[in-house]
Amino acid sequence: MRVASDVGGTFTDLVYCDFDAETGKAGEIKIAKAHTTPPNFEDGVLNAVEKAGINPAEIDFFAHGSTVVINALTERKGVKTGLLTTAGFRDVLEIARGNRPDLFNLAFQKPAPFVERHLRREVQERTCYQGQVETPADLSGLAATLDYFKKEGVEAIAICFLHAYLNPANEQAVADEIKNLWPDVSVIASHEISREWREYERTNTTVLSAYVHPIAETYIQRLENKLADKGFGGSLYMMQSNGGISTASAAKKNPITMVESGPASGIHAAACLGEITGHKNLIVLDIGGTTAKCTLIEDGHVRVSTNYYIEKDHKSPGYPIQTPVSEIVEIGNGGGSIAWLDAGGKMHVGPHSAGARPGPAAYGQGGDKPTTTDANLVLGRIDPKSFVGGDLEPDWTALENAFAPLCEGLGASQEEVARGVIRIANANMVNALRLVSVNKGYDPRDFALIAFGGGGAMHAVALADELNIPHVIVPVNSSVFSAWGMLMTDLRRDYIRTAPMAFDDDHAALIADRFSALMQEATSEFAEDEADGTSLIFTPYVDARYVGQEHTVKIPVAYTADGSVDTLRSLAAFHETYEREFTYRLDLSVEIVNLHLVASKPVAKANPVARPVTGAKIEDVILHTRSVDFDEHGLHEATIYDGLRLETGMELSGPAVIQEPSVTLVVPPAHTACVDAYGNYHIHAEPAGKGE
Amino acid sequence: MTDIFTREIIKDALQAIGDEMFSAMIRTSMSPIIYETTDFAVGVTDTKGNLIAQGNGVAAFLATLDTAVQSLLEHHPAKTLKEGDLFITNNPYEGGGTHLSDVVIILPVFFEGELVAFTVNKAHWMEVGGTFPGSVSTTSTEIYQEGLRFSFLRLYDGGKANESLIQLIRDNVRLPDSTIGDMQAGIAAARVGAARITEIAKKYGKDGMADAIEDLLDYGERMTRLELAKLPNGTWQAEDIVEEDGLGNGPFTLKVSVTIKDDEVIADFTGTSDQAKGPINCSYTGLATGARTVLKAMTNPDIPANGGSFRPLTVICPPGTVISAQAPAPVSIYYEPLIAAIEVMWKALQPILPSRLPVGHQRTVGATFISGTHPATGDLFVMGEPLVGGWGATADHDGDSGQFCCGNGETYNIPVELAESRYGFQVTRYSFDEREGGAGKFRGGKGVVLDYKITADDAALTYSACRTTTRPWGTDGGLEGTLNGVTVFRADGTEEAHTMVNNLALGKGDTVRLVSATGGGYGNPAERPREAVAADLKNGFITPHEAENLYGMKV
Repeated sequence: MRVASDVGGTFTDLVYCDFDAETGKAGEIKIAKAHTTPPNFEDGVLNAVEKAGINPAEIDFFAHGSTVVINALTERKGVKTGLLTTAGFRDVLEIARGNRPDLFNLAFQKPAPFVERHLRREVQERTCYQGQVETPADLSGLAATLDYFKKEGVEAIAICFLHAYLNPANEQAVADEIKNLWPDVSVIASHEISREWREYERTNTTVLSAYVHPIAETYIQRLENKLADKGFGGSLYMMQSNGGISTASAAKKNPITMVESGPASGIHAAACLGEITGHKNLIVLDIGGTTAKCTLIEDGHVRVSTNYYIEKDHKSPGYPIQTPVSEIVEIGNGGGSIAWLDAGGKMHVGPHSAGARPGPAAYGQGGDKPTTTDANLVLGRIDPKSFVGGDLEPDWTALENAFAPLCEGLGASQEEVARGVIRIANANMVNALRLVSVNKGYDPRDFALIAFGGGGAMHAVALADELNIPHVIVPVNSSVFSAWGMLMTDLRRDYIRTAPMAFDDDHAALIADRFSALMQEATSEFAEDEADGTSLIFTPYVDARYVGQEHTVKIPVAYTADGSVDTLRSLAAFHETYEREFTYRLDLSVEIVNLHLVASKPVAKANPVARPVTGAKIEDVILHTRSVDFDEHGLHEATIYDGLRLETGMELSGPAVIQEPSVTLVVPPAHTACVDAYGNYHIHAEPAGKGE
Repeated sequence: MTDIFTREIIKDALQAIGDEMFSAMIRTSMSPIIYETTDFAVGVTDTKGNLIAQGNGVAAFLATLDTAVQSLLEHHPAKTLKEGDLFITNNPYEGGGTHLSDVVIILPVFFEGELVAFTVNKAHWMEVGGTFPGSVSTTSTEIYQEGLRFSFLRLYDGGKANESLIQLIRDNVRLPDSTIGDMQAGIAAARVGAARITEIAKKYGKDGMADAIEDLLDYGERMTRLELAKLPNGTWQAEDIVEEDGLGNGPFTLKVSVTIKDDEVIADFTGTSDQAKGPINCSYTGLATGARTVLKAMTNPDIPANGGSFRPLTVICPPGTVISAQAPAPVSIYYEPLIAAIEVMWKALQPILPSRLPVGHQRTVGATFISGTHPATGDLFVMGEPLVGGWGATADHDGDSGQFCCGNGETYNIPVELAESRYGFQVTRYSFDEREGGAGKFRGGKGVVLDYKITADDAALTYSACRTTTRPWGTDGGLEGTLNGVTVFRADGTEEAHTMVNNLALGKGDTVRLVSATGGGYGNPAERPREAVAADLKNGFITPHEAENLYGMKV
């Protein structure tokens, strides 16, 4: 049995299937849901296992996506952390980069550092920019510093020294001495987390890692214990932000890698479904309650970078975390996003969200502001009879009251305002989708749009039309798509090393050597944590740029048949990628900033099985018809289909709506939808073109 | 006529162009002053030069894009423009002008053969020639010493590059690859914006777009007037000084009288000192930028920066002052009088807006240039960087520590690990300055100490700052902050302090110590909550002496 669980804000999703490791045969994918149980999230996981009626002893593979790290960070629930830096640099964490995105706010306040100044202590030591130790770490004052930390209730210590990304010797010496002097304290040195330059970013990353370390470690341990109590004897894996999984023991050592595991599994799921259905170029859209996230997958390849921040927006610099994260663009636009008028009479949708509580006005839980979900209800897109999975009767009075101030302010009817809300929400999402596609030099016509999450199916077709994306894929059971993705992941580690050097023939041998050293490092680390360092797959990349520039593009390194680095082909890829993103190429030398090795160990996949065909007729799966407003396509009597009873090969035309218990797929006029072998929906605009 | 929601969508799309061009510029630039300091701005104007949208790296470019287009139209009337044209200007005394290093690129955008908009950007190029490396000087006496000057020249003529002009630039700058790279980045950003405008025009029609533009400008104006109407009517004055001009002259007085009348503001700088002999002069464009910055801060910084939002503002200043300099005044350090003008205007208004406008901050860019020969590569290096410092407190909170001054913004310091690999020095300290100052119920933010130990055999330092003899002001019992300055500790054990210094010779082993000011305090320090005083003491933000004598806390 293979199981994946994903902890969300409201529900803990479980996706599972039988799997015969010898034959590789998988059973039907099944789903269970339980309420999320903060602060003991592992209980929700176990409840979901119980609800599914699974005997934990029969599970041999258990993948888990947890929000424990991101929650501890955003709720400031980590442990008291101390920081050791190179002498002269303890304030780097607080000075940060000095930037003020909120340019014209003269009362700006930068985000507070996670370690107060008195807990930031300095060590006499120095490594120079070429990596030689100039001054070995002076350990003589360490005992006194640790005494102070103990007295202050510090539970974790971060160490970050200048140029430790090149040579970690001084950091190691201090970490070793701390372990001697104070074996119980949690210690993380920067080189264990990041081997990239930029001291503020690396220091902050190390601090945040230390801050969540004891919490994540305890959480994983509790989950392991409770599963073991129920008889589980298989392997527990944790979902990481890079789109792979790691063993529980590796995750305990470096928990910051889990920071964005939720979105990463969704993106990975999209890549897998693309692989299965033969669509390797995908624009990915995940619309949840509060935000919409999007990314682009080219030729099956998900972009992973360390250019990641939490709490960064147009007003705040946020906090950088230099860990490999699947790149996404996230905007404050989800089902619960609130529509409002500003003082100048302009309507906005989001970024404020009504969240799960009070939720949209129609929930009748005290929400008094109209949301995107309310607008979809007004326009007949959401079926009032199966609102919130049929659990809830829409509160029409609350909804009308919520819309009234906007109707008055704009002098428009409720339907007109609702249409405006959808149009503005869609425009916001189109702008985000443009950022990952058109603005990076991609032509959306070469892609399929894959949409999931609670609201993905509702908006997908309109967004695709706007961007001229010819094909929309909505996975069946798209509300638990992310959890499914975890069943399909491999073990993965990213090794990134800042190593500035010219990218030319003279350096080809050095580049190859550096990569083989990294491969060996990966092999021994896999052997240590996963108990098996064999059959790894290595993919080397470099972050490169024109000499003199700052920002890099990531390109795969090409090898010749005899195993040496093919600079000619690699550089051609660089120029091509650069030109696509920036519209021009230069006749300049190219330099490498980072080497990036992806090491993955494939896990046998439980590939989805085809849905049985009973020969039912499409008329049999029609639920009813109702009046639905398709915005620019007009108001139509639409046919409503029961999605989970649609069968392979069935085809239908808009105006229609396909409903699952928690998914609404809007198919406007002049579009057709069909169902593939696994029950996924594919929507195309009719060749005659958009509109009537 | 488009419906209201479609109009909103066109408006948002127009404003998004600012962000797109901004990221194109950053990602293609060759010099840290653009990609780390983000010393640039990008924008779109309508066919008459009314600002539609602007993406800003720094606050100090707010009036430089629209006025550049307005001046372009005086030199080259709309009917003489054709598709494929692209212009370049850095003339300080006309629209768009600041100093020669800030170069403006303007691209007229055509749709179906008709002029529909301009995309424009202005960026600090690392090198535009002149007497000293980095085209910076604290001792120039005429504009001619400061570098190449372009006055609305055609860089592209109907799609064809002006190779003679490009070669002229190449031959007259010290880092031609970097300079031409910066030029390319500006062109790329302008083209990205033009492509988006064309798309919008295609999708919604020229008229739909024009309609939305008008609506957007009116919206900006309406929002600003609504905010101004909330403020009391009256006139407020303030006065401050810029200490010196680099040649030993000074101080220079800046005077302002700000009048709020219903939903309008008039900022009158009459009474300000005549322009200086040395390069601390700023042109009228710079002054307009400064006044716009304060307008945004005193209303609502979220109101989109567009031509409409600035309509309620009138700026008055007679020509020929240090903030309305005339040709051929040197202007290399224009940003110091500019930010002094910004601060003096907010100083006038601070009593009525004590939560939105802080007391005095470090009030200097503290621009530092170190050039020399890199010891490992033998190449010429030029490091140029502003310095973070301490901000003043407000009626609600302490001043921010280690932030760039009001003229900067989305400006990033250069990471030590990158700087050491690129330039001929080692950074040996970058931390808060622990000198006393800025005490208050809410205290001033801390300035910093930054030490560069020179590893190159020979190098040179250029540095300029204000608030070197006058301190950031406090109010309501809050104390003044501290001073800015640089000290050079020579390898031979001697030391020397400077406030403005040009191309000072440095040798291997010398240490350049920059210190930035701590901001002013707000309110009586004795009223500061005891827990806050205790925490400050523990964190070394105040000294035991300050705790006892100013905050009244026994240590």
